[in-house]
Amino acid sequence: MRIPHIAALALAAAAWPTICAAAPVSIQVSGADGRPLAGAVVTLAVPGAPPAEPHGSYVMAQHDIAFEPRILIVPVGASVSFPNRDQVRHHVYSFSPAKKFELKLYGFDVTKSVVFDKAGVAALGCNIHDTMTGFVYVTASAYAAISDASGRVSFSGVPAGRATLTLWHPSIRAPGNTMSQTAAIPTAGLATSMAAGR
Amino acid sequence: MRLPLKLALKLPLKVPRLRYHDLRSKLAALYAGLFVFGFIAVAVVAQIVIDGQAQRSVTADLLSSGTIYDRLWAMREQSLVGSADVLAHDFGFRSAVGSGDRATIESALTSLKARANVPIAAVVGLDGRVVGADGALGARIAALPFALAEGRRSAVITLGPDTYRLVESPVLAPTEIGWVVFAVRLDAAEMQALSKLSAIPLVADVVQRDARGHWYASDGSLAPGAAIDDLVARSQSHRVLTTLNLPSGKAFALARPLEGPRGAPEAALLLRYPTALALAPYRPIQFGIFAAGLMVLLLVVLGSLRLAGSIARPIAALQRAAQALEEGTRTEVAACGTDEIGQLAESFNRMSAGIIDREHRIAHLAFHDSLTDLPNRAFFRESLDEKVLRQARSGEPVGVLCLDLDGFKGINDTMGHPVGDALLRRVGQLLCALAPDGLVARLGGDEFAIILAEGFDDDRPRALAQAILDAVINPINVDEHFIPIGVSLGIAIGPHDGHNADQLLKNADLALYRAKQDGRGLFRFFEPSLDQAARTRRQLELDLRSALRSGQFSLAYQPIYDLNAERIGCFEALLRWEHPTRGNVPPIEFISVAEDTGMIIAIGEWVLHEACRQAMSWPDHVRIAVNVSPLQFRNLSFAAVVMQALAQSGLAPQRLEIEITESVFLDGEGPVVALLHQLRAIGVRIALDDFGTGYSSLSYLRSFPFDKLKIDKSFVDTVTSDTCTAAIISSIVDLAKALKMETTAEGVEDSEQLDQLRGQGCSSIQGFLISRPVGSVAAGRLVRLHEDRSALA
Repeated sequence: MRIPHIAALALAAAAWPTICAAAPVSIQVSGADGRPLAGAVVTLAVPGAPPAEPHGSYVMAQHDIAFEPRILIVPVGASVSFPNRDQVRHHVYSFSPAKKFELKLYGFDVTKSVVFDKAGVAALGCNIHDTMTGFVYVTASAYAAISDASGRVSFSGVPAGRATLTLWHPSIRAPGNTMSQTAAIPTAGLATSMAAGR
Repeated sequence: MRLPLKLALKLPLKVPRLRYHDLRSKLAALYAGLFVFGFIAVAVVAQIVIDGQAQRSVTADLLSSGTIYDRLWAMREQSLVGSADVLAHDFGFRSAVGSGDRATIESALTSLKARANVPIAAVVGLDGRVVGADGALGARIAALPFALAEGRRSAVITLGPDTYRLVESPVLAPTEIGWVVFAVRLDAAEMQALSKLSAIPLVADVVQRDARGHWYASDGSLAPGAAIDDLVARSQSHRVLTTLNLPSGKAFALARPLEGPRGAPEAALLLRYPTALALAPYRPIQFGIFAAGLMVLLLVVLGSLRLAGSIARPIAALQRAAQALEEGTRTEVAACGTDEIGQLAESFNRMSAGIIDREHRIAHLAFHDSLTDLPNRAFFRESLDEKVLRQARSGEPVGVLCLDLDGFKGINDTMGHPVGDALLRRVGQLLCALAPDGLVARLGGDEFAIILAEGFDDDRPRALAQAILDAVINPINVDEHFIPIGVSLGIAIGPHDGHNADQLLKNADLALYRAKQDGRGLFRFFEPSLDQAARTRRQLELDLRSALRSGQFSLAYQPIYDLNAERIGCFEALLRWEHPTRGNVPPIEFISVAEDTGMIIAIGEWVLHEACRQAMSWPDHVRIAVNVSPLQFRNLSFAAVVMQALAQSGLAPQRLEIEITESVFLDGEGPVVALLHQLRAIGVRIALDDFGTGYSSLSYLRSFPFDKLKIDKSFVDTVTSDTCTAAIISSIVDLAKALKMETTAEGVEDSEQLDQLRGQGCSSIQGFLISRPVGSVAAGRLVRLHEDRSALA
């Protein structure tokens, strides 16, 4: 599975020599209050770059009355399994346009799978436990990452050229909870910052 | 409580203008005024305390009500939020919202509106689109979730005249995918519902800003005003209680600004509590104070009237008594108690008695003669006036008897005033005893008068007069002196003799005068002729005064023929008055008038001077005889007058012969004799005239050695026909010769008489046989003629 992946990258580099040079991109994300924002998803849409392919298995478990992980980034078409690792029942649902589904997980270690075939964010909730919130971030971009505790996101090997940076966080009060901006990524790499304004 | 406060302000302004005319009202007004002031002070203090208490109480009530309101407001919000949350959490609803199922959303909202009793419910999507509300309200609802600060769930907005409370609840799936928003209009019903929940009868209003930013109530219950603006503005930070002056009355009020979507309030809740209601619990206290005040005021007024009365009544009685005293009435004040007023009353009574006593004494002195204690002239006049007036009505006669004592002056002079006074008192007593039916008065000097008025019979005046005359026939015993007195009386009876007091008194006086003229010691009734005579006499008096000044007097001279020397030895000077209109006035007519008026003194002096002056033109042996009135003789300086006349004319005193009648002795012998001796000492001769008439008391001849006796004409007239007369003349002549006195026979008219008289030894004769009285020139001629004749003889 890894080889075709590498080959694809090589193909891409050969096809667009000008963008063959890969650059590191780091983005500092801050919240509306100006402090580093953790748990935000930054995606980089680079025109002409190959879309991410599903590989491996994607798991969004329910453990200790919470989704684990809270945010799961999956490529379009990925199948995500929802194992119930709690002793209580869960009723997982999503009313998001990206993927609407309902999983009545009424037993310990019951696993059900859902295929996310559309880019977008599916907000996951449990009809029994209101506090449970999780997100499945479905994206076609290969460059998608979650900001760490200090709000940092880093990408390596990003082709230089123009790219669209998209920031997603549930607190962003905008359609789709996202903000976008375009950036020119020099070959030397880019270090930029994004603020999640309301 | 306002009304009395105004009265109090007006009263002090009016009080000084009032003028009380009696002490009672003055005292009552003073006490009532003081009480009213005091009461007003108490009422004002009470009002202040009540106001303060009410304010405190209402403040507490209102503040606690405000807190309760806050809680109610919050409860209502929670209830709304709860309803919204229920919907927002509904799985199916969330599913519908999440999937944008508009039909499902609307049906869910409709069923919710009925269930939660919410009129307007809407869903706002993340994209700001609204389901369930439209128009302006829809726009405000759409904006709400994006405007509200974190943590806020509700806001109050105004939309035109309406105010809405908006409550939102997020629709979580599980992140926010939209919001349920409820809108409740804050209308009158909503406010009343709130009011009902309050412990005190609050009025709750929603106020909002008008175009100019002033707060007002859109239902018109509160008009824009600075007070409300101020209240709302100050209430932003903390709770403020204030008093608002509203058209409906005063009210305590507090405001609660209602947060708008972005915090700034678009509306506020105004809670008010009418002051009248707040003060209502104190009404009975205020009424009680007022009623008690009125009652006590009434008691004070009654009490002070009573007190003032007890002070003022005796003072008023004193005042009336003083007034009565002023008008001359004797008054007593009942002395009440021993206080100052009682003492004053006693003092007043003593003073009143003293004044009345003194007044009586003064009145008595004014109307009584202090010597005899009989009514005086003033009293007599008043009584007579009164009697005459009464008589004019009743027609009864009024009699006036005037009397005086004959020769009283002599008594006074010879026996002294104490005896004279005692005599007058005695006479007064006598008259009172004789006339118990009349009013006896002493008019002055020795004049008395009696009024008869009490229905006397016609003969009473005459009888009384006679009784008086009879009573004084015998000498009166005064202090062991027996004094003979004579009384003359004049009587006038009104209305015949006079219609008024003046006339009656004057006519009685005229009658008295007549009685005296007629010889004293008798009474005369008034006759109209007396009045006429009196008029004539008065005219004569006036004429006499001018006669001396204008030289109407002249002297005529009648020779007295000396039978021994056979020549004219003397002329008797006779006064002639040539009246400018009446011609020659006989001396008999005017001498008495001159004597009565005292003019005889001046006339006599003139006669003396003129006679002496004239005699100087005659030969030295011719003397001049001058008649002298008793009145002249009474004058002690008469001797000086004689000496002056002699000195002025240069006439030898021996050539002057003073002729007196025995009447000069009537007023007492002593002084007259002394004067005669004075004259004799000068060298003046003294002749006794009219000898043989009257009393012809021989005692006079003994008391003074006269130079001559003049035998009265009445003897000479009948000397030839009546042997008796001849014998008397013979006796007189012999007497004279024995006393070394000359004799002159008067009124010799024929030679027969002359022969007879010559034969009897008369020294000289006087009469028409020799010559009538002649003028001065003729007198001179006559002397020479007779001298020639004697020389021839």
